[in-house]
Amino acid sequence: MKAIRNICLTLLYLFLLAPIIVVFIVSFDTRQYLAFPPESWSFGSYTKVFANEAFIAAFGRSVVIGLVVGLVAVAIGMLLSMALVRYKFRGRDTIGFLVLAPFLVPSIVLAVGLMLVLSPMGLLDSYAGIMLAHLGITVPYTVRTITMSLMAVDRRIEEAAMVHGASPFTVFRRITLPLVSPGLIAGGVIAFLISFDEATISLFIVSIRTSTLPTEIYRYLEYSTDPQIAALSVVLILISVAVVVLVERLIGLRKAI
Amino acid sequence: MTERHVSVENLVKTYPGAAKPSVDDVSFSLPRGEMLALLGPSGCGKTTILRMIAGLVEPSSGAIRLNGREVSGIPVHKRNMGMVFQAYALFPHMTVAENIAFGLEMRGIAKADRAAKVARALDLVKLTGLGDRRTTQLSGGQQQRCAIARSLVIEPELLLLDEPLSNLDAKLRDEMRDEIREIQGRTGVTAIFVTHDQDEALSMADRLAVMSAGRLEQIGTPRQIFDRPETEFVASFIGAGNFLNGRVTGAGEAAVDGFGTLRFVGDAAVGQDVRLMVRPHRLVMGGAANSFTGTVEHIVYRGQILTMTVRSGQTRLQADLHTHAGALPEKGQTVTLGVAPEDVTFIGRAA
Repeated sequence: MKAIRNICLTLLYLFLLAPIIVVFIVSFDTRQYLAFPPESWSFGSYTKVFANEAFIAAFGRSVVIGLVVGLVAVAIGMLLSMALVRYKFRGRDTIGFLVLAPFLVPSIVLAVGLMLVLSPMGLLDSYAGIMLAHLGITVPYTVRTITMSLMAVDRRIEEAAMVHGASPFTVFRRITLPLVSPGLIAGGVIAFLISFDEATISLFIVSIRTSTLPTEIYRYLEYSTDPQIAALSVVLILISVAVVVLVERLIGLRKAI
Repeated sequence: MTERHVSVENLVKTYPGAAKPSVDDVSFSLPRGEMLALLGPSGCGKTTILRMIAGLVEPSSGAIRLNGREVSGIPVHKRNMGMVFQAYALFPHMTVAENIAFGLEMRGIAKADRAAKVARALDLVKLTGLGDRRTTQLSGGQQQRCAIARSLVIEPELLLLDEPLSNLDAKLRDEMRDEIREIQGRTGVTAIFVTHDQDEALSMADRLAVMSAGRLEQIGTPRQIFDRPETEFVASFIGAGNFLNGRVTGAGEAAVDGFGTLRFVGDAAVGQDVRLMVRPHRLVMGGAANSFTGTVEHIVYRGQILTMTVRSGQTRLQADLHTHAGALPEKGQTVTLGVAPEDVTFIGRAA
């Protein structure tokens, strides 16, 4: 019975990982079009990817945008979570719903909406525009992770700090913030990863100046389909895995979500 | 001892939306160095009083004074109080020493002085050498000690303890009870602690304030509370009691069914209907100034004591007698019980 179970599990994982495995194999092909299986092998595609200035520049922009979005989403998420968890006020439920609403709306609808809003403000193809758009879709995640962490913090611990001489701001800095740090880190990482590989919304908002890596890949695919794309995909997958593993090692991502 | 270190005056707290106040017109005061227990069933408002004194809850009306000075305008973090929470509320991301040093750090005390004071506090609560531990690595009793050290190291005006022993198992509770009392005596800190456990209150406190439904029922020394309860609530909440109705027939004498004449200590006018109380363990075999003869209706042998119910007419008395190896009363037997007049408590007019 155990053998059958193990075989089933192996098949399931193979099915889930098949696309990634195929991409991984194809990335070493030497032909100038995408086909499976490869006829001959080399690292040529990787060399080309790292020599492609458009990719490198877009990668840099994506990292910068992702980092800023991650940090700002965490800051906004922290403030919103404090308000939603700690204070009772009129319209709290409405705000709670609005914060999570982007979860429910299809990306393409959000993309069109964002384009229509950002266009008259002159923010299309600007860093501010793309960051605002990415904040809209990442803040729900940071609010979620930080809210969970914050609800787990025992109010008595904060009260103890207060009674023993800590001002409200000091309580926040020395007690609350460290105690919710798993939620902050998890939220920040998720926000970074979402921003880093978000394509649908970015396609509507950026063009030449602020094109991100995913939009650059999309544009590249319009003209050519060669193993460079596969090689680039493998690099992106490795980066994501590295980030997740690092965070898991540091704080235990699973605990934070 | 007449100096009022802490006083609470006409304190009221009504939570928004509540029909009745949680704390209803409570006043008491403590001299420096006293340990007061706020005792009452859960929901009687005792914790709310403690939290108002700490500044964590704002009173609806009334005053709290420290050294004669009203504290309501002073924010929580400037009141200079120590507080031990029920679940300790230690800072989980800090070591034991960091927890204890926290209050000192907030007061801007230099690092070297801090270390010396923390070391002394660790000694005081017998946690010497455990300063580098994580608080999560401590046992319940050690966490409790750490919480006490954290509160005492700042040399607070007032030490507040919220059900400090309720999270400990029975054996540790007895140990910590003596220890808290000992530490309080040694440091001379004025302390208020909240509890629902009468043993804890009687054995730890200099004075007890018994509360019920937001009101202060009685305040006094353990002996006053136990032997001279002023209300039926106090008499029944603390210890067991046989409650009797009678009519006053003379000075310190009342006609009570079963006793005939029951002599008691207390002032009541002749002809008045009164409520009297006799503790089961103050009854003895054989007649005395007051004697009650009846049939043993129910009897339980419990080793050290013998609990029995004796009935005469409509009156039942519960008696807890010390056992001995000789003959003991048996069920159905007719016995005579006696009680000294000073052990008959006059509670008040009968309802």
